[in-house]
Amino acid sequence: MSRPLDDILFGTPSPRAQAVTQVASVTAAVLLLLLAAGIVFRFHSAGQLDARFWEFFAWPTTWSFLGRGLLGTLASAAMAAVIALALGLVLLVGRLARLRLVRWPSIVAIEFLRGTPTLLLIYVCFLVLPPAGVKLSTYWMLTLPIALSTAAVVAEVYRAGVLAVPRGQTDAARSLGLTEAQGFFLVVFPQALRYIVPALVAQLVIVVKDTTFGYVVTYGELMQNAKVLIANYHALVPVYLVVALLYCLVNYAISKASKWLGRPMH
Amino acid sequence: MGDVSRLLADYGPAFGQALFLTWKLTVLSFVPGFLLGMAVTVLRLLPLPPLRFVLTGYVEIFRNIPSVALLIFIVFALPDLEVVIDYEPSVILTLALVCSAFTADYLRAGINTVPGGQVEAALSLGMRPMRIIASVILPQALRAVVQPMTSLLIALMLSTSLASQVPFPGRELTALVSKIATDSAAGIPAFAVAATLYVATGLLIAWAGAALEKKARILR
Amino acid sequence: MSIKSALKSTAVVLAIVAGGPLFAQGTPIDAAAFDALVARGPVADAATIASSTWASKIKQAGKLRLGATQTSNLFSQLNEKDGRIRGFDAGLAQLIARYILGDGATVQFTQVTSSTREQVLINDQVDMVLATYSITPARAERISFAGPYYTSQAGVLVKANNKTIESYNDLAGRKVATQAGSTGPAILAQFAPKAVVQEFQTHQEALDALRQGRVDAYVTDYTLLLNALSLGTGDTRLAGTPFGAQDPYGVGLPKGSDGVAFINAFLKKLEADGTWAKLWTIAIGQRTGSTAVPTPPTIP
Repeated sequence: MSRPLDDILFGTPSPRAQAVTQVASVTAAVLLLLLAAGIVFRFHSAGQLDARFWEFFAWPTTWSFLGRGLLGTLASAAMAAVIALALGLVLLVGRLARLRLVRWPSIVAIEFLRGTPTLLLIYVCFLVLPPAGVKLSTYWMLTLPIALSTAAVVAEVYRAGVLAVPRGQTDAARSLGLTEAQGFFLVVFPQALRYIVPALVAQLVIVVKDTTFGYVVTYGELMQNAKVLIANYHALVPVYLVVALLYCLVNYAISKASKWLGRPMH
Repeated sequence: MGDVSRLLADYGPAFGQALFLTWKLTVLSFVPGFLLGMAVTVLRLLPLPPLRFVLTGYVEIFRNIPSVALLIFIVFALPDLEVVIDYEPSVILTLALVCSAFTADYLRAGINTVPGGQVEAALSLGMRPMRIIASVILPQALRAVVQPMTSLLIALMLSTSLASQVPFPGRELTALVSKIATDSAAGIPAFAVAATLYVATGLLIAWAGAALEKKARILR
Repeated sequence: MSIKSALKSTAVVLAIVAGGPLFAQGTPIDAAAFDALVARGPVADAATIASSTWASKIKQAGKLRLGATQTSNLFSQLNEKDGRIRGFDAGLAQLIARYILGDGATVQFTQVTSSTREQVLINDQVDMVLATYSITPARAERISFAGPYYTSQAGVLVKANNKTIESYNDLAGRKVATQAGSTGPAILAQFAPKAVVQEFQTHQEALDALRQGRVDAYVTDYTLLLNALSLGTGDTRLAGTPFGAQDPYGVGLPKGSDGVAFINAFLKKLEADGTWAKLWTIAIGQRTGSTAVPTPPTIP
């Protein structure tokens, strides 16, 4: 593995360059600290550092309340992810099928679900389907559109992985007497998965982000509980900051877990 | 089909305006987002630990935050910090920030495709690091990331549906479908039209991106 | 608007304005009194329930699915510390639940906003909606209303230091907030057609917009504005007196449901035995400093 570019560019500094870098580092640190101080000062002058805006965070009831909201988020996200992974596989098999009759509808389904915003699909489940007779429960009004939208993207991610597996693998499987289906599911697909775990996890993060639209269908999740706290304590900035941070932490944890999953197996 | 033609008769101009608004929001957020992302990537190359630390935090935050949460923060919470931004700029700002974080990530991967040997050669020719970044690294990195950036642009276009969540002046496609579905029984045709417009726009961008990628691709 | 109601409204306004500084922290609801009042509510006998398919269905399901809000200070606010929702609307909803389901009535709560109120009834996501829901002919085409259980006119709320807006006549060319899907847009179209209207999803968001200076005024149901004043932060005031037609609040039910007759009968019961008045006092009267209990509107 060759050295990263920034190492090559700046890796062996001359004494003069070292001095310049030191100065620049210190200057950058000072400027950034000033910026941070400026932000804190703005909080202070806007009165946002008052105790009454933050003291309720010290109560366990606040955190258990937010925790319940988070559970709502995760309940929807987990189900949507599972469905998306399974449905994505179905769409993939359809997409790769030899029969045009199977392939073309799969392509249309994938392009259609991939090409429309998830929010629009959520509105459809909430506003358009019920008058037409399809009345889902609140939970499914959020989970189903997210699952469908993600399934299409997942199908394409699977396809990229499958296309990256060397053709020789399929040939070897055939020569060993495996049927096409066996060859695909036992040999090619598992190898494809290894390539695409980061991309799949990135989709999982997007699923969690999409659940923030729960309020559109009146599904109770983290954002909604945040609004209750705001109504009770009038602490717009602190609550939204903390909630935004919670989302970032959850998604960051998911991404980090993917890196851990994707580490070399041998 | 009769439903669709009736719908277009009533709402045709509204759909046209909504489509235009969608495109407008996409372009207005992509350009600053892209430039900002490029700036972040370049700054992250500099060997200044404090700067790298803060910028890595920036990218992680705006990559992981849900766009709706960010938009609500900007529209409803920032004014309490005496920063009042109007609705349309708020939507554009939200999308641009998220776009910049993803751009920074993709571009960094793109930079890593540039062979180290070229940089060493440039150094031995006496070029300054900043000059190397601008003339050698960035052009090749940009050419390497056309495909992910195309996906990002399509995702951004779809994210303009966010504008329906704040008192936005004017309706883009998602807000228009929501209004038609509430006011009349033409929800399904409206959805069909909007979905077609979204998919068509996405395919257009994908086709343009693929063409650009073919021309810009560096075969090594 | 009759002289009597005008005088009454003025009295309420004066009381609030005078008592404003006293409510610096916003008077919280008397939780004990509220809980006791709801626990004392009547329970229907089997025959009454059997006479209504809507009530029977709820009784069979073992819970009442309610669409309401949890962020409306006087009408329905969630105390996340004990998980109870209290307020005027909340009290009525819990009394109805107790009436149908008896002791230990379970209310399954769904948060609704002005724009989702009809849809959740049409979608059968909830059994009823009790959320400062004004009865209008347009809405009555898509859902049915029981009641009215309360009336209110429209009011104009401005920042305390705003000296230029004294009533709805001064709203021309100004930025005015209102709630999407409420009667606000129609009222503004009638009384202040030249105002620049911004629609918000919830009462809280519109209030914040006023406080943050995004809009110059907030026009909505007058009683909702009492919310803002009862918070007692002292930075808002009412401009002028309540205006417009008397806005009746109703209980939202699925279209054509026989729950309408069922709930109307129950509401008349509550008004006759004084529970309505007691609930008003606990939820609204004591917290806004008004002592004159209004007469409940007549139910057809």
